[in-house]
Amino acid sequence: MRPLDLISFARLGDLAVSAVLLAGLYATMAYGLGLIYGVLRVVNLAHGGVIMAGAYIGWAMFDRLGIDPYLSIPVVMVVSFALGVAMYQGLVRRLPRGAAGGPASLLLLFGVWLVLRNIAYLVFTGNDRTIRTAYSSRSLAILGSHVSLTRLVVLGLGLAIAIGLHLLLRRTLIGRAIRAVAQNADSCTLVGIDVERIYTLTFGIGTALAGVAGVLLATIFSFSPASGSSELLRSFVVVVLGGLGSVFGVVIAALIVATAEVFAVLILPSYLTSAVGFLLLVLVLVLRPGGLFGQRVLA
Amino acid sequence: MKAPPLIPRATVRAFAVVCVALAVLPLLDVSIYTHNLLTRSYILIAGALAWNWMGGFVGQVSFGHAAMFGIGGFVAGRLALELQLPWPVCWLAGALIAGGFALGAHPLLRLRGPYFSIATIGVGEASRVVFTYWERFTGGASGMSLPIDGTFKYQLYWWALGLAAAVAAASVVLRRSSFGLKLLAIKSDADAAADVGISATLYQDLIFVLSGAVVGLTGAISASYYSFLEPSDTFGFERSIGFVLMAVIGGVGTALGPALGAVVFVLVQTYLLASYPQFHLGIYGVLLILIILFEPLGLTGLGRRVARLARRRAPAEQVSRPAAR
Repeated sequence: MRPLDLISFARLGDLAVSAVLLAGLYATMAYGLGLIYGVLRVVNLAHGGVIMAGAYIGWAMFDRLGIDPYLSIPVVMVVSFALGVAMYQGLVRRLPRGAAGGPASLLLLFGVWLVLRNIAYLVFTGNDRTIRTAYSSRSLAILGSHVSLTRLVVLGLGLAIAIGLHLLLRRTLIGRAIRAVAQNADSCTLVGIDVERIYTLTFGIGTALAGVAGVLLATIFSFSPASGSSELLRSFVVVVLGGLGSVFGVVIAALIVATAEVFAVLILPSYLTSAVGFLLLVLVLVLRPGGLFGQRVLA
Repeated sequence: MKAPPLIPRATVRAFAVVCVALAVLPLLDVSIYTHNLLTRSYILIAGALAWNWMGGFVGQVSFGHAAMFGIGGFVAGRLALELQLPWPVCWLAGALIAGGFALGAHPLLRLRGPYFSIATIGVGEASRVVFTYWERFTGGASGMSLPIDGTFKYQLYWWALGLAAAVAAASVVLRRSSFGLKLLAIKSDADAAADVGISATLYQDLIFVLSGAVVGLTGAISASYYSFLEPSDTFGFERSIGFVLMAVIGGVGTALGPALGAVVFVLVQTYLLASYPQFHLGIYGVLLILIILFEPLGLTGLGRRVARLARRRAPAEQVSRPAAR
């Protein structure tokens, strides 16, 4: 541990910049989990597994076919969308809804996660992987601190996805239907919205977003088939903190979580910083289970 | 008029016969392989049943019981190494501290459903990280070796059997007692339970401490049995998953189903996974999916279904026989 007065102002600036950069990734990880929970009231416990799968698809396309990871995003989106649709149609739809469906859906999706993990072990072995492109080590000087190019791209894409998702939910007919189903599924049947189709679509979009988050993660951090639990936990903290009210609530919550994690370096020995996310999760759940901005659902 | 006994006499007698039979089994000519298989099963049976008190009876699915398992193991191991206390004292201390840890998790019990489950992942993972780096206590990544001689290891069979039998008996009694019914009421609807004067917080605290202490005890005994402990394995996520799997395979929420699940778990690990280690997670994943979709009460539910079918067929035969004559 270092006394605080020895830390230079520049170092605090560096930490702030890296917190902002990390927030983009955390927000991207969280959108999918929040969307599915907001609409279906199902916590997708396979979320971390889908992120891991997305990372591997991106890695495989880069390693085997030489496709730039950021260009492979559309393919990853399509594949993980299909995965989500299959998960919903084949599994989740068959469960009882409401309170009785709670633990059952958790355990079911947990099973899916285990299967995804096993497939990754079989296909890609248990080794740690990262996507290292020619520009991975490039950095830009912004506000006096060096910022890695890939992290900047991830932040940009994370914000772009936030805007895209916001527009989808607010400005399109499908988005309006999704929000309507989240508020009251029974009334939706009355006005001719095919609720099952909206559920399928939502689950697909949610997992597609998780897949994209996986690719973005893979360009910054290393990953293995065992990855996913800390991603799931972080996404969950962000969703709980940000509430289900709006996409931008998620962005702000991601910024808070990333800042807490990055600045924990100042007061905690470095090996304990990986526990900060978990502690934060417990604190948030206990102190503000309704989120910072209340529990309005996609309203 | 005397109230009927909590447990039917015949059941008690059958249970006693099974326990005695298992207790004398090692005195007969049993291979050390079977001896080991049974000891491991007993430890897991106790753990799975205790997990089920929380995950099944109250319906609060915990993905973090490895924390209590690990604390029980390391407290017992550390006490044995530093103070050379007799083993049963160390185990008891491990169980008590693990129970205390569960009590410390009191704030989590306000959460329900997925919130609770995901918070337990957080607690489990955080304790893994903390204990891995707390080298003076756990020995860090290189772990902790315990001085266990072969005779004592052999005797652990009876200790483990005794524990499993006690926990099984406790499960059945718990299920049928008014305490168990209160837990069931909390599981069905915590608010409605509160309306009739059942404090969800109090009873969940009680059962979580009991569950944690017993899981801590299994951690302690298993530490002595393997005579080696390593934080990233003892506190590992996979171990927490193990408790969930055993209970789900056997029948979540049934009194004794998880014991059956634990036996299946040991058999799958010993026979199936020894030959196909690369399908380790996938087998459990597929099993979990199939059980939840088709038989939410696991093997217990399957057994009940078969029993129902048999009962339906039996009277039909009695009716058809005279008609055939």
